[in-house]
Amino acid sequence: MSETPTPAGAGGSEVDRPPEYTVVSGEWQDLPDAVEDDLMVINMGPQHPSTHGVLRMELTLDGEMVVNNRPIIGYLHTGIEKNTEYRTWVQGVTFVTRMDYLAPLHNELGYCLATEELLGITDEVPERAQAIRVIMTELNRVSSHLVWLATGGMELGSTTAMIFGFRDRETILDIFEFVSGLRMNHAYIRPGGLAQDVPDGFDSRVRQVCRELRERIGEIEDLLTENPIWMERNKGVGVMDAESCLSHGVTGPPLRAAGIAHDLRKSQPYCGFEQYDFDVPVADTADAYGRYLIRIQETYESLSIVEQALNSLPGGPVMVSDPKIAWPSQLALGPDGIGNANEYISRIMGQSMEALINHFKLVTEGFTAPAGQVYKAVESPRGELGYHVTSNGTNKPYRVHVRDPSFIHIGALPALSQGLGVADIIVAVASVDPVMGGVDR
Amino acid sequence: MSDGTEREIIEQEVDDRDITDVDQPGEPDTLHRRGGPGSANPNMAGGEASRLRERTRPERPLSDELAALRDHIVAAFDDLTVDAFRGELTLICAPERLYDLVAFCRDDPAVRCELLSDLSGVHWPGGTRVEKASETTGWPSYETEDVGRFEIDYILRSITHNHWLRVRTEVPDDDDAVIDSIWELYRSADFMERELFDMFGVFVRGHPNLERILMPEEWEGHPHRKDYPLGGVDVQYKGGVIPPPDQRSY
Repeated sequence: MSETPTPAGAGGSEVDRPPEYTVVSGEWQDLPDAVEDDLMVINMGPQHPSTHGVLRMELTLDGEMVVNNRPIIGYLHTGIEKNTEYRTWVQGVTFVTRMDYLAPLHNELGYCLATEELLGITDEVPERAQAIRVIMTELNRVSSHLVWLATGGMELGSTTAMIFGFRDRETILDIFEFVSGLRMNHAYIRPGGLAQDVPDGFDSRVRQVCRELRERIGEIEDLLTENPIWMERNKGVGVMDAESCLSHGVTGPPLRAAGIAHDLRKSQPYCGFEQYDFDVPVADTADAYGRYLIRIQETYESLSIVEQALNSLPGGPVMVSDPKIAWPSQLALGPDGIGNANEYISRIMGQSMEALINHFKLVTEGFTAPAGQVYKAVESPRGELGYHVTSNGTNKPYRVHVRDPSFIHIGALPALSQGLGVADIIVAVASVDPVMGGVDR
Repeated sequence: MSDGTEREIIEQEVDDRDITDVDQPGEPDTLHRRGGPGSANPNMAGGEASRLRERTRPERPLSDELAALRDHIVAAFDDLTVDAFRGELTLICAPERLYDLVAFCRDDPAVRCELLSDLSGVHWPGGTRVEKASETTGWPSYETEDVGRFEIDYILRSITHNHWLRVRTEVPDDDDAVIDSIWELYRSADFMERELFDMFGVFVRGHPNLERILMPEEWEGHPHRKDYPLGGVDVQYKGGVIPPPDQRSY
């Protein structure tokens, strides 16, 4: 331990300046007693395993109690918003899917809904495409909540929850791979529809996974809901009442845990969510335990929506009919992998030169969107995910701003964590489920 | 006059002609801007097609609730400009009126916006062409703005009444880019205003802790300004370089 010398002879300034001590590990007991009453500032992160990625928190501690928590972000800033300004509208999908990497399909959906609104084709997107969007995003919600359960459980020492959560999420990622070819960052939802139709056997496979997941999530519930340690650690921790949630812009499960049944799928339905029968779970405890209960309930509701959508899945195309917008979405598996269907190739290569020109222009230059600005929000697993997209009438977005719920929730952490113990900070942070890829964008 | 400026003027004329070729009868909006950096090739097929689409697809009007809301707010603030695009309501106010307007939207029982959903900015640098629909002919004309500006958009959402609206204000993109903080009204504005300052360099008066949030503290420049250089990629082969995306010809 070393004591930083206070500068002498500075006209009495040493009276105001408290002594500073630099302590390395194992020397805490050597600190003078007088220090015990002082506030201590420590850094948690940016690489602490329980901070969900590269989040750094500067905690001001009074003993064990947190007086202030100053989150510091930006370690994962990749400039995705800026990048989209130099790519065509369709290419933007492959960027935004990499923001909130636990809910890639929600990001794609928000971006595509905004683009469609700018183009004025919202009502022209085929029903089949909308229903498949619903199925995929609801499965994504379940997989995201399962990762939350897994990491949240691990942070409290329940490795079983971790193993269960990741095991069950794997079944959903398998479906995503089956449909889009990729486990994450799918770029499956495109402006005007979908990249391609679902493969044969999709229906039975999804139904089977839904059945399995009901059982397996029941296992996790058996493990945690009545578990004394889980209840002790979660109940009454990270309390944020409705008024505070609204003032801090907190949406999603934390807001619903505070008793407000605000869900954009209900209040401002998109993709035909008004056709499906589902509940918005609400709790009145406003704490981490309430958020856990709500997420569990939401997974069941999502599985029910998926099954309803499968029951009423209409046929037809999965892309708008306007050939100036519609990316070729009739794909087939050839000897060298998946590609455009043979009929399509023979038409553009052998029959119609105009079709070939249109294909070439669409793929290289893309379509243009009328000048204007729209804001489209979807209910992501974490809350309101908004896309604020500006067009200046060209083939590239002029500005894409993303209202990411994780970013807003990190902003609420100071209010959420004041007065908690250091160990409870972990629970409080986990309960708002921040994903740093979305926070830093 | 140098060659460069002559060419720019000629290109400008060509651009104007190409766009005004398309008749746009009854185009309602006078506010949306075309051009600016990153313009597409005006001869591309998609450009004409998008005008045709605009004509064949009718503009969605404001819903009755939003129209009533607009009348209610305009009755209290008579100096607002109102814009409607794709069924979304936008209220444009002067920067000095911003705080009062947002406070009204939060506290008035008929508006009651509990959530500040989003706060974002758009940079329109000087030289951007503005489209102005002429009232007599219905044909648009174009003016060039000398001073660039930031549009700053606030999305206010009401859970009680299940509506949302956009409040927009504009500030010049020079050292006078100052807006008032609404942190007092919505705590969520803390992070959002820091992001605005970080990305655009807009000074937010009254913010408790205005510092960079995503970029490192010692960073120079504000990345979301359109004049922010993108940088290229050095290639270790005979001094080759990949130019920045906005200067590539492919």
